[in-house]
Parts: sequence; C-alpha cells; structure tokens
Amino acid sequence: MTGITPLSPAAHRGLRYDRHAAGGTRRFARIGLSEIAVAAADMPLCLAKDGQTGRFNLIALMSLVEPANLFVFGGGFQATYVPRAVMLGGFRLDARGAAGLAVDPADPSLGDAGAPLFAGEQPTPLSHDIARALERLVADVEGAQALVDAWAAHGLIRPLGLSLSQPDGRAHDLAGLYTIDEAAVQALPDADLIALHRADRLAPAAVLTASLAQVERLRQLHNARFAPALTGYSLD
Amino acid sequence: MVETEVRRVVVVGGGSAGWIAACRLAAQARRIGSGVQVTLVESRHVPTVGVGEGTWPTMRNTLARIGITETDFIRSCDAAFKQGARFVGWTDGTADDGYYHPLNPPAGATEIDLAPHWLHGAAETASFADWVDYQAMLCDAGLGPKTIVMPEYAGHANYAYHLDAGKFATLLREHGVGTLGIDHVLGDVVRPEMSDHGDIVHLELADGRIVPGDLFVDCTGFAARLIGGVYQVPFRRCGDVLFADRAMALQVPYEDEDAPITCHTVSTAQGSGWIWDIGLWTRRGVGHVYSSAHSSDDAAEAALRRYVGPAAEGLNVRRITIDAGHRTRFWQNNCVAVGLSAGFIEPLEASALMLIEASMDAIADRLPRTRAAMDVMARQFNATFTHHWMRIIEFLKLHYVLTRRTDTDFWRDNVAASSIPDGLAEQLELWRHHSPGPQDFTHAREVFSWPSYQYVLHGMGFASRQPRIDPAAPDTALAQRFVTRMARARDDLRTRAPRHRDLLRAIREHGLQRV
Repeated sequence: MTGITPLSPAAHRGLRYDRHAAGGTRRFARIGLSEIAVAAADMPLCLAKDGQTGRFNLIALMSLVEPANLFVFGGGFQATYVPRAVMLGGFRLDARGAAGLAVDPADPSLGDAGAPLFAGEQPTPLSHDIARALERLVADVEGAQALVDAWAAHGLIRPLGLSLSQPDGRAHDLAGLYTIDEAAVQALPDADLIALHRADRLAPAAVLTASLAQVERLRQLHNARFAPALTGYSLD
Repeated sequence: MVETEVRRVVVVGGGSAGWIAACRLAAQARRIGSGVQVTLVESRHVPTVGVGEGTWPTMRNTLARIGITETDFIRSCDAAFKQGARFVGWTDGTADDGYYHPLNPPAGATEIDLAPHWLHGAAETASFADWVDYQAMLCDAGLGPKTIVMPEYAGHANYAYHLDAGKFATLLREHGVGTLGIDHVLGDVVRPEMSDHGDIVHLELADGRIVPGDLFVDCTGFAARLIGGVYQVPFRRCGDVLFADRAMALQVPYEDEDAPITCHTVSTAQGSGWIWDIGLWTRRGVGHVYSSAHSSDDAAEAALRRYVGPAAEGLNVRRITIDAGHRTRFWQNNCVAVGLSAGFIEPLEASALMLIEASMDAIADRLPRTRAAMDVMARQFNATFTHHWMRIIEFLKLHYVLTRRTDTDFWRDNVAASSIPDGLAEQLELWRHHSPGPQDFTHAREVFSWPSYQYVLHGMGFASRQPRIDPAAPDTALAQRFVTRMARARDDLRTRAPRHRDLLRAIREHGLQRV
C-alpha cells in the first residue's frame, strides 16, 4: 500500500490497465449495496471487522485457505460477476493525480499490457471512466456500510463458524467472519421489523444468508486447482 | 418469621456502592421478571468518597449484567485498561526492585503448576511473571489487552479497568434511572421506623416523606448509617496488621494528549507506605497511602509531590482517613451493608469495588423471596464475607511480610511476628515447601486464588525449598509445552497488540461491536 502514488504522466505515461488481470491475489473484496444480489450469484457474502475501526464491513469471499483468488485462472475472472473493488483495486481517488486518481503499481492489473491510461500527456477517457466508477463505488460502499451499521445496531450480526474438512480428518477453521443472526431477526419487535423492512434492510440480509451456499462453489474451485483437497465444510 | 414477600429493596447512598447495588438489583429483577422495585435514597448534602478507581476483571461481568456497554463505560468514565499491578521497591528497595502481579493466571494453570519448574530451571534468568505468562510484556510495552475488532468485554489477555469514580457513579445513575427504572429519591434520612422484631420498616426523610422497604442496603459509606448507626454492629479493626491509616491523592494531567497511558497499576514502596499511580484517559491518579504512626502528613505529602515531580506544582491533594477494618456482621435483620459501610482497607489490590460486586452477586442473584428466607441468606453472607475480609487482610499483609527492607520503622514493624495473622504465618510455613496451590485454601471461591499468591511470593523472592523435578519426568515436558506456547503468544502479541492509548482512542471514536 505504501507504493500508492498520484497518477502522473511523468511517472506513469506508459502504464496500462488490464482488466483481465485484476484481482488475482484478492482473497476478498468489500462490495457496495447495489452489488449484493449480483455478487451473491457467485460468492459467499459475509461480514468482517475493519482492523482500524472494528466496524463490520460487507465482503465477498473469493478464497478459503489459498493465498489466491479462486475465481482467477485461465487468463481471466471466471465468474458471472466481478466485484467492482476487484476491477478497480489498482486505483484510488486522489485529487492530486491526473484524472483525480492514484495508482498502486504493484496491483496485477497495472503494467505493460492492456489499455493505456495516458495519451501523451493527457489521461485517456479510460482513466476518467475509472475515476467515475471509483466515485460510484465509494458511494455504493457507504450505502452498504449504512445497511451493515443498521444490522449491528439491532443486534442482527453473529459470528460465523466456517470449518473446512481436510483429507487427514483435521479441520481448518476460518476465523473473523460474521453473518446474519436469523434468530435475532425473527425475534425483532414488530415495529423494528417493519421499520427495517421499509428501509430495505431485511431483503439483503436474506441474500447474505442464502449466499453462504456458495462456500461449496469455493470448495469446488479449490479442489480443481489446489491440494490437498477440501473434503467438506460446515457452517455454524 | 412471617412469609412476607420481598418486593421493595431500598438502597441508601448514592456513591459507587449504592449505584452498583441498585443497578445490579434492578437489572436482575428485569432479567427474571420478579417485579421487585428498587429505590435509591441519596442525600444532596453528603459528598461521595469515590476512592475506588481500580477494578478487578469482575467488573466486566458486572457491567454486562447491568446492561452497560463497554464502549459507553469507557467513553463515559474516562476508563483505561488495567492488566495487573507492578510493585516497585517492595522487596529490598534497590534500583531494580520490581515485580508484576498480572491478571492472567500462569500458563496451563488448570493442568500444571509451573512454579517448581521455574524455580529449578529459569529463576536465575527470568522473573516468575515473565516466565509463566506474557502479560508483563504487554504492560512493559504499554500495549492493550484487546484489539478494536474484539467484541465487548473480550480480550487476548485478562483485564480490568482504571476509571473516574465520580463519572462512574453518574453513568450508573443515568442508566439505573433511565433504563432500569430505579426510583431515585433525593433526601436526607432522619430516622428509621423499626418493627417489634428489629427490622427496618421504613425510612423517614427530613422533608417528612416515608420510604418503605422489605430489604435495606446500607451504602452510606464510612457513616454506616444503618449497619452501624441503627444496628450498632461492631467494627473489627485491623490496624495492628495493616498500618496504613491515611491516604492523599492528586489528579495529575498528562504532559501532552498523546502521552502513553500505563496499562497497569504502579505501586511504589515509600518509607512509610506506598504510592499508587494509575492511568486514565484524561489524567493520572496518584496517591500516597501511609501510616500516620510512621510519618507526618507533611512528610507524606512531600514524598508524594517528589514522586510526581514538577507536574504536582499547583495541584491540591485530597486527604482520606483510613479506619482499616470491617464489620463483624454485614447482614443484620433486613439490612445488609455494602461498600465502605461494610469495611475498608488500603487499596493495595483494588479490593473496594470488587467487594461491592461480590456482595451484590451474592445478594442480587439470589435475592430472598421472603423475609423468612432472609435469615438463612444473612448467615451465609456473613460467614462468606467474614472469610473474604480475613483473606484480603492476609493477602495484603503478604506484600509487607516478605520484604527485606529494613530502612525504616514502617518496614521493620511490618515483619514483626506480632503483626502477622496466624493464618498467614501458617500458610507461609507451608509454602516454604511448595508453591501456593488450590488445595491450600479451604473455600472453593477465594477472592485471591493461588496464582495471586504465587505471583507475590515468587515476585518477592520468597525462599522456597521445593523438590527438584526430574528433567525426564512427563511433567517437565508438559511444562515446557505450555511455556513454549505462551512464548509464541507473547511474540505474536508484541507485534499485534495495539498501543494502549491508540486502542482507547479507537474505542472512543468507533466503539466496540457487541459480537
């Protein structure tokens, strides 16, 4: 992260963006409010605490035990939906930079391949498109944060126990994940239930719960490329 | 005794004890739906003492039961984390004289006693606290016992708090009245109405109002208006064992807003007592506890100001008289004393708030349903807390009797056999042959359990002739496994645990999650 610098023609004139290389090392990504339904078609969605604030963040899991993104292989992202934070992982908003961007040169999407970020001294339309997409993503993540904060305020979040079975019989537990506490949702007072429903806070909660079935997809993707195989998993 | 239902509990006194008592009772009543109504009577004219600024880890459970979040508590009470105490200068008074009494038990405490392994294998190279646990490292490095991602009241190390006692009482009052439905009555009690069999029927206030009750909790502080004033229950002094009878306190501002906050109590021995030094979010609390038989007030104040240094200039000391001891009974008829009305001794191991919590655990969690059941409760309560007081006095005395200091009459007098309780003397003889263990205590629930005794005894270099353990014995390997595991945890936390002030800042800014 320390290598992030404002985008400038002097430093980045030859830099290109390859969307197919994005996210190869991303194990999870924060997602925005509008991404919940589409990301759930591929990935388990859950909550994890921010290391600086302790607040719950909404994330899409793209890895189990591997130091890699299980969806990235064969020269691209093999899913029906790619989280925008993955696509844009090499960029940050920075008013000091060209097109209002900063870049992380270490991100795999940035290098010699792909579409150029500059045409001569000027940022290309692609760079401006990326900046606008980032602005939309920031607003969308803020929307997701408000959703998650509402769940937390009503005590609707519980730790998620995710245990992966290995061939030798040992279990590998993934710690630090949280999910919706369905029992707490059911126990909500009527007034709170209606208020949350009217604010569209409950439907996303159901999607989150349902998305946990995608752990099986991750397990299958793991077994296709990594050893030892994961023989099963349990959710608690 | 009639089968009168206990429906109304009246707490008299509005300091820390009164509000903890009232909140515990009211929260428990709500939890089980007992319908018991709690009233707290508080005088506008009696200032609170507010001596308790250090807690035990038990406070986490107390706050959770009352329904106060850790975030609200930390924000409202200027609270900081406490991971134990460091005793400086107690053993021989030399420059490097110091040891920790951390809140973590020794590694593997439920499976193995590491003390003999330390004595015969590592005592020359590592302190006991350092060898058996990692918390001394956290304290030395100024690191917190938890991270911002941990839930409320959970940590990677055991912890308690330092707090502002006045702000704590305010938080409890607002929560107790606003959330728990405690009936808060401002007024001065002038007289109790007594029944024929000696129970308090009601309290009459100066303005003529009547406050009836079935059980009365005396939290009137040193005044002990009910347990002493009404029932004349004798006070058992222990000044012949614990000599400290004076304290003076200073509130010391930090040098700057990013100054480190010490994550443990520092207790530094002086010529005629000791100085406490605790860190809150906004200030330090520093005080000198001393024996007036061994030091003048002026000399004690000079020692305190010398300890604080230039930061003490212009600060006024607050003086407290300590009448060390406790009631011979704490529960009489339908009145039970909690807090300073029950007893008080020097705050060497921060036992004041803990005793309030322990008392309320015993009272609130099994509040007698009827007056007839109260007498049995009272007998059990009196036996339990008489024992607790005896053990607390013994444990505090332990810190003094092991000294090798002979520089002042205070320290010389403290090791005189006549000042050592028989029970403690007997235990010390026993511990010359083995380290303190769970079997050395007759009660299943001791306020100070055997790890605490180990930390003090081995911290102060108590001579012990324990037999050497065979290096090839299975226990040696087991001990090594625990020490190795603990050392890994220490290395991990050294890099992962947050700086104490940074942790407090993050909690104040973002709050902790419930799960």
